[in-house]
Amino acid sequence: MIEAKDLVKRYGPHTAVDHATFKIERGEIVGFLGPNGAGKTTTMNMLTGYLSSTEGTVTVDGMNILEHPLEVKKRIGYLPENPPLYPEMTVREYLQFAGEIKKVPKQELGKRIDEVMHTVGITDVAGRLVKNLSKGYKQRVGLAQAMIGKPDILILDEPTAGLDPKQILEIRSLIKDLGKTHTVILSSHILPEVSAVCRRVLIINQGKIVADDTPENLAKRLLGGSQLQLRVDGSVQQVEEVLRKIPTVKNLSFKESQEPGTVELIVESDKDKDIRRDISKALGSAGLPILMMRSLDMTLEEIFLHLTTKEEEVAKV
Amino acid sequence: MMAILKRELKSYFLTPIGYIYMGFFLLVAGVFFTFGNLITRSSQYTGFLGGILFIYLFAVPLLTMRLFSEEKRQRTDQLLLTSPISIPEIVLGKFLAAFIVYLITLAITVMYALVVGFFGDLSFWETLGAYIGFIFLGASYISVGVFVSAGTENQLTSALVSFFSLLLIWLIDPISNSLPVELVAGVIFAGLLVLSLCGYIYLNTKNLYITVAVLLIGAIIIAAAYFIEKGVFIGFMRKFFSWFSLNKRYENFSMGLLKVDSLVYYLSFTGLFLFLTVRLIEKQRWV
Repeated sequence: MIEAKDLVKRYGPHTAVDHATFKIERGEIVGFLGPNGAGKTTTMNMLTGYLSSTEGTVTVDGMNILEHPLEVKKRIGYLPENPPLYPEMTVREYLQFAGEIKKVPKQELGKRIDEVMHTVGITDVAGRLVKNLSKGYKQRVGLAQAMIGKPDILILDEPTAGLDPKQILEIRSLIKDLGKTHTVILSSHILPEVSAVCRRVLIINQGKIVADDTPENLAKRLLGGSQLQLRVDGSVQQVEEVLRKIPTVKNLSFKESQEPGTVELIVESDKDKDIRRDISKALGSAGLPILMMRSLDMTLEEIFLHLTTKEEEVAKV
Repeated sequence: MMAILKRELKSYFLTPIGYIYMGFFLLVAGVFFTFGNLITRSSQYTGFLGGILFIYLFAVPLLTMRLFSEEKRQRTDQLLLTSPISIPEIVLGKFLAAFIVYLITLAITVMYALVVGFFGDLSFWETLGAYIGFIFLGASYISVGVFVSAGTENQLTSALVSFFSLLLIWLIDPISNSLPVELVAGVIFAGLLVLSLCGYIYLNTKNLYITVAVLLIGAIIIAAAYFIEKGVFIGFMRKFFSWFSLNKRYENFSMGLLKVDSLVYYLSFTGLFLFLTVRLIEKQRWV
């Protein structure tokens, strides 16, 4: 459906995107994950034809974006990081304009505007000026703009940036719904967001694609072992004594607990081994009740640490 | 294109800028008319129209400053350039919107002509010629403003650069009159033109062969012209610069002369700058 081959973008001596190659099939929801300045936005700008690539090609449905720009642009709806809104227009006027330049037939446009406004939930602000809308509503108007031309592909750059937690959840579930009928490419620097929405993740670092996999596989591959956070009623010595006896436990690190008379610690174990039952049994039979147990998600920072150190190790070998 | 045109026209009157332009222009034109015609009881209407030409130096930059620079500042150019609409359509839509506001404002001054015609002797053909001239001259001024706006991200910069560009075009007449007209000067200037063309080609293509080829062709043309008809180079510099002088050709119109070559000149000047605007926007995507 959409294919990037050896995509390179240079700004003078600085290489923003460095030989990115990937292929995204119809119906996929793909997340671009990476820290700020990794090249996510530049890649998206090249996919949508806003920027031209220094080298490499983008093809959509087999058509090169440089050779058939209008045909390709018809198939793509783009929501940039800052929604491209005209503050002096009302929401309906703005969508009318967006629909016109996206070549929605005149007789369908009115109906289409109502449809997208309903989908993204902005019907109640249709008559308000864009400049008076909150950030969350602006984001939705931007999303409505991306959808109005009935594109097959939606490209969303940091769609939840700057929103409050409730709005983030709403936008995420909206994107999930859109994923049923569209190919969606979104970017984010928040791992939980990508794993909540996407079935495939491309990790971009310093302009290069360093990983391409499902979120689960990625977490497994990157997580050297699994980590559990525990809070136990007892003393440090007692807990350590019991847990050291379990062979699959690799490492223990104790933290200060907020609750008096309890111990808080992080247990690390080998990859692919679920040690929750063993820990529970051992502590239970030692008379040390578990007050809390949860597995720790890996943060993006840790993943990047892993990826970069791994790369360096490879380079050394 | 119609969508862009409609949106731009609306936005002139949804933001203060349309009112500022019209207010500024009509205020100054009104002052000129009051003091030039009403109080002095003069029916010299073409004199007033010559004054209007001067107002456009300040007013046209106001009209064109936000066309592209504001899109870039608000990042709405991302919407335009990722939509299935071509860049020439965008440029033409914006140009026409500015041109329509220009024409509406100009049309209001026809009222003054009626006042003069009612109470005095209005030289009808000269006035008509001057108005036709304004239509074409305005299109040329606006095309310069559109081009400058596409190269800037800030409205104020855009307005100032447009103003200085138009001022330069204004000053071409007095400057070119003092340029040397000798044969040698003409040949040297032609040589410099060829060299700068070669420099431009080299910087853009980095291709030495094409550059050398252009240099040779240029040298041959200059040499051939020199041996066949030396007269070409006499006053060549002056002729070259006066090509950019928009106002000189306007004088014909205000004398009631409708010259086809002047119309063609204004249309090609406008077309050239709109074409350059399209190229500039395309080039910005490669940077």
